[in-house]
Amino acid sequence: MTYMEMAHFPILTAILMSTVLGLIVIMFIPADRDKLVKQVSLFFSGVGLILCLWLYHAYDVQKGGLQFVERTLWVKGLGIYWFLAVDGINLPMLLLTSVVLFTGVLTMWELENRVKEFFAFTFLLVAGVYGVFMSMDLFWIFVWYDVSLFPMYPLIAIWGGTRKEYGGMKLTLYLLAGSVLILPAIIYLWAQGGGVTFDIFELQRMGFAPQVQNIAFLMLYLGFGVLAGVWPFHTWSPVGHVAAPTAVSMIHAGVLMKLGAYGILRLGMTLCPDGLVYWADLMALLATIGIVYGAFVGLAQTDLKYVIGYSSVSHMGIVGLGLSTMTVNGINGAVFQMFAHGVMTALFFSAVGYIYDKTHTKMIPELGGLSRTMPIASAFFIIAAFAGIGVPCMASFWAELLVFVSAVQTYPVRGTFAVLGLVVSALFMLRVVQKTFYGEKNEKWAHIPDVPMYLASPRIILVGVILFFGLFPRIILDVIQSAVIPFVSSL
Amino acid sequence: MMKWVLFIPELYYVLMAAIFFALSVQRKVESKRLYSIAVVLSGVGVLVAVLCARLEGMVFFDAYRVDLFSQVFKLLLAIGTFWVVLTCSELESIDPRQHAEFFMFMFICTLGMMMLVSSVELLTIYVSVELSSYCLYLLVAMRRKADMFAETAIKYFMIGAAASGFMVFGISYLFGVAQTTYVADLIKVLPGMLDQPAAIVGLVLALSGFFFKQALFPFHIWAPDVYQGASNQVTTYIATASKMAAAALVIRFVGFSGGESALFIKLLVVLSVLSMTFGNLVALIQKDIKRLLAYSSIAHAGYMMIGILSMSQRGYASAIYYAIAYLIMNFACFMVILKIADDGHNLQIKELAGLHKRSPLMAMTLMLGLFGLAGIPPTVGFTGKFLVFAAALEKGYLTLVIIGMINATISLYYYLIVIKAAYLLEPVRPYPPVMVDRWTQSLAIFLVLAMVYVGVFPDQFVALTEAAARSLLV
Repeated sequence: MTYMEMAHFPILTAILMSTVLGLIVIMFIPADRDKLVKQVSLFFSGVGLILCLWLYHAYDVQKGGLQFVERTLWVKGLGIYWFLAVDGINLPMLLLTSVVLFTGVLTMWELENRVKEFFAFTFLLVAGVYGVFMSMDLFWIFVWYDVSLFPMYPLIAIWGGTRKEYGGMKLTLYLLAGSVLILPAIIYLWAQGGGVTFDIFELQRMGFAPQVQNIAFLMLYLGFGVLAGVWPFHTWSPVGHVAAPTAVSMIHAGVLMKLGAYGILRLGMTLCPDGLVYWADLMALLATIGIVYGAFVGLAQTDLKYVIGYSSVSHMGIVGLGLSTMTVNGINGAVFQMFAHGVMTALFFSAVGYIYDKTHTKMIPELGGLSRTMPIASAFFIIAAFAGIGVPCMASFWAELLVFVSAVQTYPVRGTFAVLGLVVSALFMLRVVQKTFYGEKNEKWAHIPDVPMYLASPRIILVGVILFFGLFPRIILDVIQSAVIPFVSSL
Repeated sequence: MMKWVLFIPELYYVLMAAIFFALSVQRKVESKRLYSIAVVLSGVGVLVAVLCARLEGMVFFDAYRVDLFSQVFKLLLAIGTFWVVLTCSELESIDPRQHAEFFMFMFICTLGMMMLVSSVELLTIYVSVELSSYCLYLLVAMRRKADMFAETAIKYFMIGAAASGFMVFGISYLFGVAQTTYVADLIKVLPGMLDQPAAIVGLVLALSGFFFKQALFPFHIWAPDVYQGASNQVTTYIATASKMAAAALVIRFVGFSGGESALFIKLLVVLSVLSMTFGNLVALIQKDIKRLLAYSSIAHAGYMMIGILSMSQRGYASAIYYAIAYLIMNFACFMVILKIADDGHNLQIKELAGLHKRSPLMAMTLMLGLFGLAGIPPTVGFTGKFLVFAAALEKGYLTLVIIGMINATISLYYYLIVIKAAYLLEPVRPYPPVMVDRWTQSLAIFLVLAMVYVGVFPDQFVALTEAAARSLLV
């Protein structure tokens, strides 16, 4: 592999800087200029979105492999590199991040409390997310990973809702407990590789002894698994989602949880293929339990956000199951599912956010018949629910199909259970939709106006993305495949 | 005669102490003037330390060694002293008649610690330790309301004296075994002798005196009480500058043993684990922020020990880097405390409520400092922990590193509680606004930038610490 070092416009750094710069600019705006803060946020997130779209368009699928490489030595003594690149796996993730940030900013347009700080923390968080997705150096991946985690605490504890301080503290401590295993694992691999480089691909070429791989993979899997919502480490996730404000829930469930799955794929599976083979059984088992468990617990919830939280656990189980199959279709499906689930959950939370803002409740029994008072706002939630179930024409349909086909082939019993779990989740989604939006009309909400156009725009964008990739899945699958096929053949 | 050039930083601090001695005899100069004189003089002290950073050589019959390692630490000491002096604009908790003595003892203490980091002979080390310790005993006792805090000063003195006793006793054993007090000769003979109980006992006893300075478990008992009982400025000095000297001493002394003895390393591992775990667990329940930081300093002594016990050049380098990081982060936290409690009382965590409105800059400095102490990137504290852990994992201490990371997560809880107070809690009663003068403002901005810059661009600093560690091993 030859690296074209800095021979082109550093577009990846530019994407990263769109958030860092946004953060700095926001910090210098006087605290009482709320409107300006929002406009600046929208501008910088828009710049990120445009750059990501351009990147997606410019990526050469035929060539595949790492493109737009930027690589310079950062710390000589340890072999740390500033190494950014995209391939078929992180490209969809970058696109997802930019879409969710852009729509997240739009969703929070009506925020009034400590606006400046909110957007500053949000941009810091997203800078971390971009950084993890585009870095190919273990040191930087960890740095950005932690940068993306700690703004969650103030974001939830200051602007959150139900039991915000408890939820924020639980989430922060859980996620940082995950890094208790990740950081030693990263340095352990570095030390085993002779202590000369943190470059993922150089380490991959060195190859590690199977025993080293088994230890390191388990640590990376469990560490990132916490963030990916792997059962039984998922308990922070519904509580955190419920406590967080809308845009943070969107970014968190939509993008941050993907960081966990991405970490397992990029670090664990790339560096420790033997470890993956050794632990794949466990991964498949935990993933299946997650799918079934999430669906059943979701069935019993009465809080709309809890419902989405548990459905996330279930859907992230599908990602884990896909990864554990170690087949082209399975990993393809898993990466696609990461993307599809990200957009879908963002839509879910965005839709619930509007309903909650207007009715000040998200308890299902208190709502009811909403589709008659606010048909458009309801439609967004219902579309998201269909996407969650995996109805054809939705992006997640293809993702789930790919995962289940290969899961049933690789692990017949677990695969079957997982498919059954999906049926249960369809049941609970339809139940929620029926109780919240149809049925008896609650007169209490009759006066609420339907969502105006400018507030609906983030949801329209998200629905558009879901449908677009549902109708033209090849556009994203070709990209993912260009990375997954060489990856699987190297296993 | 040229050899005296090597001694310039120390001589400069002797001069400073002499000036303040003269001023204290006069008793005519106002506090404000004393403060400005002290600021200027200690500022020049930093400059002197920078100019002398590249000196190398031996003086005083080879008992005193000037190398990059010692000069880096002298620079850190000078910076630490300068910063502490900068925060002394309102010395409310010290009797105005004693301000001149206050500065004099602080400079003598710095002088003692500067000598400490250069000493390579056991008795010279002992004399330097005592010189700095006696000044600290006096500084702690200077706080007003002596009846309330007298216990602290006496306790500190008693425990300190006992620790000194241990140290001399250990040194005498080492001399008995090795027939020399020169460290350079000790390095040659000691590794071969570590199977002898007398050598281990001597080394451990001598080290326990140094661990006392560093507040490593189980030699930490003085720290919480002294942190709480001393005036805020003195606590800041003990927590920042004096910690640098202790770290330098432990690094140099542990380096002597050469890492040949598995028993010795095991002992250090146990101390490190106990120190981290104990410090962090007790810190969880603290209400007084100085006490909280005292327990956190015990934990940090444990983290630093992980790097030192790796016994490799990278290990020592990482410990030096950690010391730099600790100086910046800890000072940032203390500076905020000093400015909020400007009347000199002991600050409770709940008094931080609403700080983000009272002074956004102070709140941000505090947050970054605490995140640094918790080891969250992109601050210097994270990079320090990363380097320390990297050195340990190169030697294969995987379990130790995982314990260290678990501790870092535990510590995050109590740091978050402080941050929560500053950013979330609404004050129960109106607290006076925080007065932040221009000096403090620029210092705070400098600290914030330094915490991020040293953390994100560690390349030159890693190179510097590696060079310092190399000079240590020559």
